[in-house]
Amino acid sequence: MESTENGSVSVREFHANGSRMVASEVEAKLDQGNIQEAEDSLREGLSLNFEEARALLGKLEYQRGNVEGALRVFDGIDLQAAIQRLQSSFSEKTTVKKGRTSTESASSASQHAASLVLEAIYLKAKSLQKLGRFTEAANDCKRILDAVEKIFYQGIPDVQVDNRLQEIVSHAVEILPELWKQAACYDEAIAAYRRALLSQWNLDNDYCARIQKSFVIFLLYSGVEASSPSLGVQVDGSYVPKNNLEEAILLLMVLLRKFSLGKMKWDPSVMEHLSFALSTCSQTSILAKQLEALMPGVYHRIDCWNYLALCYCGAGENDTALSLLRKSLHKHERPNDLTSLLLAARICSEDPHLAAEGVNYAQTAVNNANGQNEHLKGVALRMLGLCLGKQAKIASSDFERSRLHSKALESLVAAIKLEPNNSDLLFELAVHYAQHRNLTAALRSARHFFHQTGGSVLKAWRLLALILSAQKKFSEAEMVTDAALDQTARWEQGPLLRLKAKLKISQKRPMDAIETYRYLLALVQTQKKSFGSQQIDSKAVDDKINEFEIWHGLANLYASLSRWKDAEICLQKAMELKEYSAALMHAQGVLLEGRGQNDEALVAAINGVLIEPTHVPCKIFMGSMIHKMGPKYLDSARSSLSDALRIEPTNRMAWYYLGLLHKNDGRIGDAADCFQAASMLEESDPIETFSSVL
Amino acid sequence: MSADPQTPPPATATATATSTATATASPAKLQTAIDSLSSIVPALSTLTPSNLLTNPDLYSNISALLRQPNSGAGDNNLCRWLYDTFQSGVADLQLLVLRFLPVIAGVYLSRVADRKPQAGFEAVLLALYAHETTSRAGQPVSITIPDLTQPSVYHEATGKSPSKSTGAAESDLAVVSHALEPHGTVRSTRRARIVGVALELYYTKIAHMPISSKIDFCEFCKVWAGQEGEMYEKFEEDEEENEEGGVGSAMEVKVRKKVEGRVPLCWELLQPVMRILAHCLLGPNNNKEVVLFEKANEACRSLFARSMHDVNPKAILPMRSLMRLSKTLMPNSKHLDPTELPYSDVISL
Repeated sequence: MESTENGSVSVREFHANGSRMVASEVEAKLDQGNIQEAEDSLREGLSLNFEEARALLGKLEYQRGNVEGALRVFDGIDLQAAIQRLQSSFSEKTTVKKGRTSTESASSASQHAASLVLEAIYLKAKSLQKLGRFTEAANDCKRILDAVEKIFYQGIPDVQVDNRLQEIVSHAVEILPELWKQAACYDEAIAAYRRALLSQWNLDNDYCARIQKSFVIFLLYSGVEASSPSLGVQVDGSYVPKNNLEEAILLLMVLLRKFSLGKMKWDPSVMEHLSFALSTCSQTSILAKQLEALMPGVYHRIDCWNYLALCYCGAGENDTALSLLRKSLHKHERPNDLTSLLLAARICSEDPHLAAEGVNYAQTAVNNANGQNEHLKGVALRMLGLCLGKQAKIASSDFERSRLHSKALESLVAAIKLEPNNSDLLFELAVHYAQHRNLTAALRSARHFFHQTGGSVLKAWRLLALILSAQKKFSEAEMVTDAALDQTARWEQGPLLRLKAKLKISQKRPMDAIETYRYLLALVQTQKKSFGSQQIDSKAVDDKINEFEIWHGLANLYASLSRWKDAEICLQKAMELKEYSAALMHAQGVLLEGRGQNDEALVAAINGVLIEPTHVPCKIFMGSMIHKMGPKYLDSARSSLSDALRIEPTNRMAWYYLGLLHKNDGRIGDAADCFQAASMLEESDPIETFSSVL
Repeated sequence: MSADPQTPPPATATATATSTATATASPAKLQTAIDSLSSIVPALSTLTPSNLLTNPDLYSNISALLRQPNSGAGDNNLCRWLYDTFQSGVADLQLLVLRFLPVIAGVYLSRVADRKPQAGFEAVLLALYAHETTSRAGQPVSITIPDLTQPSVYHEATGKSPSKSTGAAESDLAVVSHALEPHGTVRSTRRARIVGVALELYYTKIAHMPISSKIDFCEFCKVWAGQEGEMYEKFEEDEEENEEGGVGSAMEVKVRKKVEGRVPLCWELLQPVMRILAHCLLGPNNNKEVVLFEKANEACRSLFARSMHDVNPKAILPMRSLMRLSKTLMPNSKHLDPTELPYSDVISL
């Protein structure tokens, strides 16, 4: 092959048996359609037999791009007969295995003949492929593999095979599934892939990796379900994938490992396929593990952090995600990356203690949403509004709180102007309005959200009912709740039924409420039976009706009816489900107070506050109980109530007790203010806090 | 909108082969389906049992009717026909009905906000849902995530001691589709799930779906996303240039324009949508379907934009991967064919 670089393109030469021959003369004959003459001159010039001459001619035509011509030439060779001759010559050789030195040259001669024939078939298959005759091509190619399998029935030995033969075999192994795919014979393609990957072809790593990747693509995207690999290839105890997705993920992991072991060049698409496969079955934490196992340097460190952050956030591991994002958003790294900023802000918006940090991210995102990213400005403003709203929850002063509130509202309103169709944003705006008792605006946004989502989101129904209840339109609220029940599957009705019970209480129909709670309890029993065996389906568990809350609600209801005995039973039931609960301590306190056991009631309230320091009903109850202890303790009672108001400024009970306290202390003016606040808030009090829908 | 392919897709070849088999098995049902269809769509009166599945006008005629203003009403004859035809139980006829799922689901979901009655569409969707519920016996679909410390048919175990198989297997079980409950009506909170499961059924039969149906699917992805995606046309390319970009003002106008048809893309809907879209983009022989590839790319960009607007990492990850993968398949990207033998000027034995 030394004379290939002689410059001009058109000079093709034949080499064989130590002589050479310029191809132009033969080409001319071929162009005139005289295959026979071309063949004759080759046989003469290079002293070849018929098959050798034809093989060379076919190759020439193929290289010239004349695939029809190549086919005509190859059709002249009886390839089937050639294959049979090959097989018999090989089987003779292998029987005299002992005498190595004598057989080696003979074996190499027959290998040479074999590669000549197989190459001819291979080129024929390629020609057919180029002509779009895929099924014929595939069948020819399959004949190569069948022949090779018969010759080397124990797999191709590593050392004894000549390079050229191995190359043809490898090519044929690789192209066969492609040909079946092009012929739209997908079952045959799957069989060919498995044959390629599970038989011994002595493929080198590049071939093997390409075939594995190509099979992965087929498994993931063809939409053709492959059956499990046959039992014949299974080794005891080894893992056998059961379906396309499992097989694809396995192969991708194997490919990644090959890369780590240095057996394969890095191919970014492997990671993208794995990313798609794992994230569409919600396994982003597994994806994170695979990413972490990659060698450093494959991805830029910042890209890697961001990639991992997406994975962890997708898997609900927000803390891990946030700490990665903090690294990548560091001022020396990529502080203005919009995706990371938005993701970080989103994570922070869920926790009041992170909200201030989130505000920074969101503000940076707003500032950087320019040019190509202009369209994300609304999203950035939305995140800003959410973070500000959350930050307000732990504001240290009233002034600070109202400042944050108005800024939050401002951002959300600015966001909705840019994102008028974003239904999530509409919902958040509705909740924001509601929490600040702008019930008209809240109702308008909630309705808008409701219509946009066509009632498909359960929380929209609940928010509507709560807003209506805050407007004291109880019967309308109940109508909404009933309609919602109608549109909800049984296991998701828990929160709605609880709402309904509370609506009944508000309408002074406690017996109806008790009836609703009873129905809820019956539902819980049925659910326990039907879900008892299904542990896998975690979503079903999430949707489960919360039994604890039913007993708790019922205890409160009985307590309000002064049915202390019943209340106690319900409380007992609730405690069996959750031993330490501030809400239960509160209910117990109310019960004890009702029975005149004020000291024990106060202890319960204190215990509640110890369990959950920000539990507002416990704080208020504690304040009211301390207040009852006499004028000496007014200060500590007041501090408890003010504390409650700091956490939840719209709690009317806190204002009411504070008013009582002022009155007893002789500050009538202050008392009047507090009572007025309490009564105003009562006019807009929902039956459950608005944040319960989030 | 739905350009019919010039060349019949490979799937139709197999479909014809099977159709002759079933045509003899249930000729009466096929004939009934044809008779009632031609009374609804006079333009299709030339249908015969042998060309029912391959008739080139069938898809365009029916999908045009499905897009008409009152197409999904309870008394709509075409919906009735689709429902009855699917319920006939003949596999080929069921595949025929399934072709129209993208249009049905697309029109249906986009019209939900208009509060029009769509009982006709809902009946068809429920029939598909019920079919899938029965064939899965209501059970969830789950997969075991492979663990390379265990040997498999494709690799030998790593040096580490093989982990206790029971513990590892349990933790790496992934639910692909949750358990199915029977539904007699479309409750609004279950709507996404019902449509999602119908799309899962479509996905399992997607190799038998014609190109035009897939193109319609991609078109509706864009509508559902409610988001233009053209700013991602040069996704992850020459970023420096983009930062300069003065296209902001032109973009702004488009962003603020009222978008019709945007739907809540919860996971149960988004997951099958992404899997179907991935097929449209990366499925076998799609390189021959230029229109489909283009439409799938547009849909991909729109859904990616949507995932960014929702700041939803579970959608950003797969959509970003699809965008990157599709770029490797762009018609202008050069590929060396690894199955080509090396060319040389010396032709030797």
